[in-house]
This record gives sequence, C-alpha cells and structure tokens, in this order.
Amino acid sequence: MMTPHLNRIYLGAAIVFAIIYLFPLYWMYVTALKSGSEIFAYPPTFIPKDPQWGVFSHVWDVRGMGRFIWNSLVIATGTMILVAGLGTGCSYVLARYRNIWIDVALFLVLMLQVLPASLMITPLFVGFSAVGLLDYPRFAVILAVTAKAMPFFVILVRATFMAVPAELEEAALVDGNSRVGAFVSVVLPLARNGVLVSAILIFMQAFGEFVYSKSIIQDVNLQPASVGLNAFMGPNTVEWNNIMAYATIYVTPILAAFVLLQQRIVAGLTSGALK
Amino acid sequence: MTEELQIELNGVDKHYGAFHALKGIQLAIPKGAFVALVGPSGCGKSTLLRSIAGLETISGGEMKITDEVMNNVPPRHRDVAMVFQSYALYPHMTVIDNLTYSLRLKKTPKAEARKIAKEVAATIGLENLLDRFPRELSGGQRQRVAMGRAIVRRPKVFLFDEPLSNLDASLRVHMRKEIRALHDRLGATSVYVTHDQIEAMTMADHVVVMRAGVIEQQGAPLELYDRPASQFVAGFIGSPAMNFVDGVTNADGTAVTLDITGAPELQLPRQVACNEKVTVGLRPEHLSISEAGQGAITTKISVIESTGSTTYVGAGDAGKITIVLSERRDISVGDTISLGINTKDIHLFDPQTQMVI
Repeated sequence: MMTPHLNRIYLGAAIVFAIIYLFPLYWMYVTALKSGSEIFAYPPTFIPKDPQWGVFSHVWDVRGMGRFIWNSLVIATGTMILVAGLGTGCSYVLARYRNIWIDVALFLVLMLQVLPASLMITPLFVGFSAVGLLDYPRFAVILAVTAKAMPFFVILVRATFMAVPAELEEAALVDGNSRVGAFVSVVLPLARNGVLVSAILIFMQAFGEFVYSKSIIQDVNLQPASVGLNAFMGPNTVEWNNIMAYATIYVTPILAAFVLLQQRIVAGLTSGALK
Repeated sequence: MTEELQIELNGVDKHYGAFHALKGIQLAIPKGAFVALVGPSGCGKSTLLRSIAGLETISGGEMKITDEVMNNVPPRHRDVAMVFQSYALYPHMTVIDNLTYSLRLKKTPKAEARKIAKEVAATIGLENLLDRFPRELSGGQRQRVAMGRAIVRRPKVFLFDEPLSNLDASLRVHMRKEIRALHDRLGATSVYVTHDQIEAMTMADHVVVMRAGVIEQQGAPLELYDRPASQFVAGFIGSPAMNFVDGVTNADGTAVTLDITGAPELQLPRQVACNEKVTVGLRPEHLSISEAGQGAITTKISVIESTGSTTYVGAGDAGKITIVLSERRDISVGDTISLGINTKDIHLFDPQTQMVI
C-alpha cells in the first residue's frame, strides 16, 4: 500500500522543516551557555562542553534587565487591555450587521494591517510630538501598538462572534434583556475563549514590539527589553554568550506560556466554543 | 359575545430594502386563542411572528398587544415569550439557569425563582435534568426546556417558531398534543408558526394561511378545509393535496366537462357562467371507486400505494388524480375504474385569478 509509505515521507519532511525552523532557537540556548572561546571554536560544538549557568544572573544584574522586562510588561499589558477593550465591541458590531458600510469598514481595517510599522512611525512620531504625547513615551507606544494590532484582533474576534447564533441573543431580548445586557450575559460568555486567545496573541505580539519603542522611547529607564537587547548589540560585540543569555531570559517565559497554552489557543481559534 | 383582543394587527407592512415581506396584514387574535400561521417557506409567517415579538421593526401599520400600540416597543417590554426553532437555549447555562434567566432579569429573589422554575420543570417532566447543560440533553428534552423557559414567565402571549420541526415524526405527534394541552391549561394566547398544515389543522382554533406576504385566508381549520377561498388554500390545506383538473362549463352552466380522457361531465352544485374555462378541485378523500360505468369519471389505475390503513390510488392521465381509500378494495394497476363524487364536494376555481367561483 502507498498510504503508510507516503505518511512516513510527510512525517520525515515535517521533522526536517521543524528542525530547520527551531535551529536558531536551539543555537540561542547553547550559545548562552558556552564560554567565550567555545563560541568561536571551529568546528562548532552542538552541546556546550562546560555550561556557564551563572551567565543568566550576571546578565540580569549587569544589564538591569528587571527594568527592561518590567517596561515590556507594561507596554504589552496596556496594549492588550486597550485592544481588547476597544476591539471587542467593534468586532461584535462588524459581526452582527451586514451592509455596505460594514464592508467598507472591514476593508479599511484590513488596509491598516497592510501598512508596515516602519512606514507608520514617522507620521505617528510627528503627531505624538505635536500633542505632547512624547512626554509619556510608554503610553505613546501603547497607543501606536494598539493601532497596529487592532485589525488582527478585530478579524479574529469577529469570526468568533459570527459563530454565536443570533437566535440566542434574540431569545435573551425576548426574555427581557436589553441589547447590551444580551451581549454581556449571553454573547460574551460564549465568545470568551476566542476573545481571550486573541488577547493573549496581542500580548505576545506587543511584548516583542521593537520599531515603535525604539523610535519613541528615548529614556533608557523606560525602554522595553527588545530595545535593550538591540542596544546590547554594538558593531564590535563579542559577548555573544551574554546577548544570547539576555535573549533567553526575554523569550523563554513567552515561549513556555505559548507551549503550555498551545492546545487551547488552537482550539479557541478554530472552534466556535459552542455545542 | 364580545371577545377581548390580545393581539391586533392593522395593515402591518414590512420592507427589507426593496423586498416587501408583509403586505397589509390584518389580524385580530382574541385572548386565549391558539392561532397557527401557516404557509410555504418565504411566505412571511416567521417575519410576522418576529414582528409580534419585536425582533423585527414593522415598516407600516399598527400593532397592538392588549390595546397598547407596540410598534416601537423593544421585545423586553412586550411581555411575550418565544420558543425558537433551534430552541436557542443558552449553552453556557444549566437547565435551571436557562429557566430562571428571565426571572433573574426581573430581580425575582433567587429562592423564589428556583421554586417557580422547579414547579414548571415538574409539569413538563424536567425535574431530574435541572443541573444538566443543554449539550447533555436529547432533542426532545431541549424542546421541553425551551417550552419551560417560556412558561416560567407567564407571558401574555406565547410565540412558537416551528418548534417541532427538529424532532422525529413520532415525538412531533406527541408534542403537538402536549403543546395544545399546555395552552389550554395555562389559558394563554398562542401564535404558532409552521409549514406543516397538519400541525396547523390539529392544534389551532384559527388558521391563517399566508403566501408571499399576504394573508390568503383565515378561519377555523374545518372552514378552510370545506370552503377554501382560493386554489392555493385548497391545495395547501388537506393531505394528500386536492386534485385540480381543467374543464369547461356547459351551455347552461350546470355541469362541467373535464379535460381528461373520455371527457366526463360532472353535475355542479350550483349554476355558474356558461361555456367558461374553470379549474375543478376534487379532494382525494371525496372520490369513491364505483362499478365501471356507474361513476362520473371512467379511468385506469396507474399506481397503488397502501399504508395498511389507507390506500392511495393514482389514476387518470399519468396518474395525476389521487384517490384515498380507507377500506381495502380488490383492485390492481391497469384496472379500469369509475370514480364518483358528491356534487356538494366539487370546488370550482377561476383559472385566471385562482379564486373560488
């Protein structure tokens, strides 16, 4: 039979691709643990001979990573709250009404998604500067990232709301609820998974945001970890182990969270959360 | 006897853009009545029901519930309960929470709400399912929860939107009786939408037949059966459907010559226009098979279907005349038979306007 044979070939191909994709991540971890001379050794070693476990606490202290991570958390949390707060109602309306203006609105939302951050930053910077928002640089970044991430959230959450049958809402209306009440007590609980998962994805996206933070936040004390990492890498850098340790500390929590929640994230995005 | 009206619709119109879904609906529903809205899909019966519920805003006319104009009143202030085709049970709530949802919105104390819900649950056989979620129930049980959710509210009006169409045939027959019994017990006013004329005929006091946004005819079930106002109603009410045969009236308008092989002539119950083309309606259950030559129409049997209790016979050209027999007869396909009908059971329709003559 062909099928098991073919399956094995597909599986093999999948594994090869997974290795190619994950290799940089692996290289980050092993490089962080290598000593200075081992990094530049030829041929390279795939498993560090003498793992330098102390590198993590060293980098954390020397680079003041606590502050950077805190700033990243502030920006990511703020963005997530703002996107979810503003985007949920918007997605609901876009899901429930069907007319030409809704189509126009959806088109514009998708257009926003197309514009790259590096293009948007100049007008945003000028605008923020004019209204004095640059005095609150982290808030300015939150606003900019919110605008950037909103279309993604709206598209995902709209699909979730569309999976909630309109009849449930109508039943709630006839049962004595208002439009808003029906939304809060019936539609929102049923769309909860989709909204939460989308919010988490927005959080992860904002946690790694670089372009806006780099341009808007001048004060080192307010910069997020992504900008801190960039500043670490100068043209003559040789401390690759420290840089990789920094990157490890930065991405591991997010990576772990993603792996732990992975099944729920996929389920939340694909199922309608109903039945 | 003056009857108190529960729902009054005066010239109700509904437009969706260019589509005219309801055209000048005129309907008065007395308190305690069980009214069925029936018609083919797309006839506007569901739109009419949703307009009464307040889920659709009417574009013109006037709608009253117990003498109050309801045109722009939101659903929650209309005091109506609705049972949806899909049941629309809240999937994230248990049965008891589904039942008490409306009471909680009315700020009924929790203990009292639970007591009311339990009483209702007991009357419709749900008492052991209160802590289940809708996904853990069978179709019939979900249907009961949907009914219970409506009953708990003690509304002025119950609205049913094809509530039985997702159940299997035997359960449907059972629930038909149960819903009617419930209606009588609660003394409620009910409006029931269905596409199944048997449901309408068996359950309702008053049947409203709709087509293309217009009420074709309304009245008591047997009145619609005995005196259909149009060919559409005649064909819709009754099962199997009425036979329609083209014909021409004779020179003095007292008989009609049918346009089928052998061109038989039928005496008419009353005199009509002479030498006129007409459509003759003959109900399958009114036709009887008599000895060859004794009936009015001589024809050949082309199909026989027997269900045991009833036999359906197809006869005439291409079997287009159906006859229903309740007794067994020694007949087989190809036999020449003669069909008889009582003169009073003949319906005549104008082929142009399709209205009764």
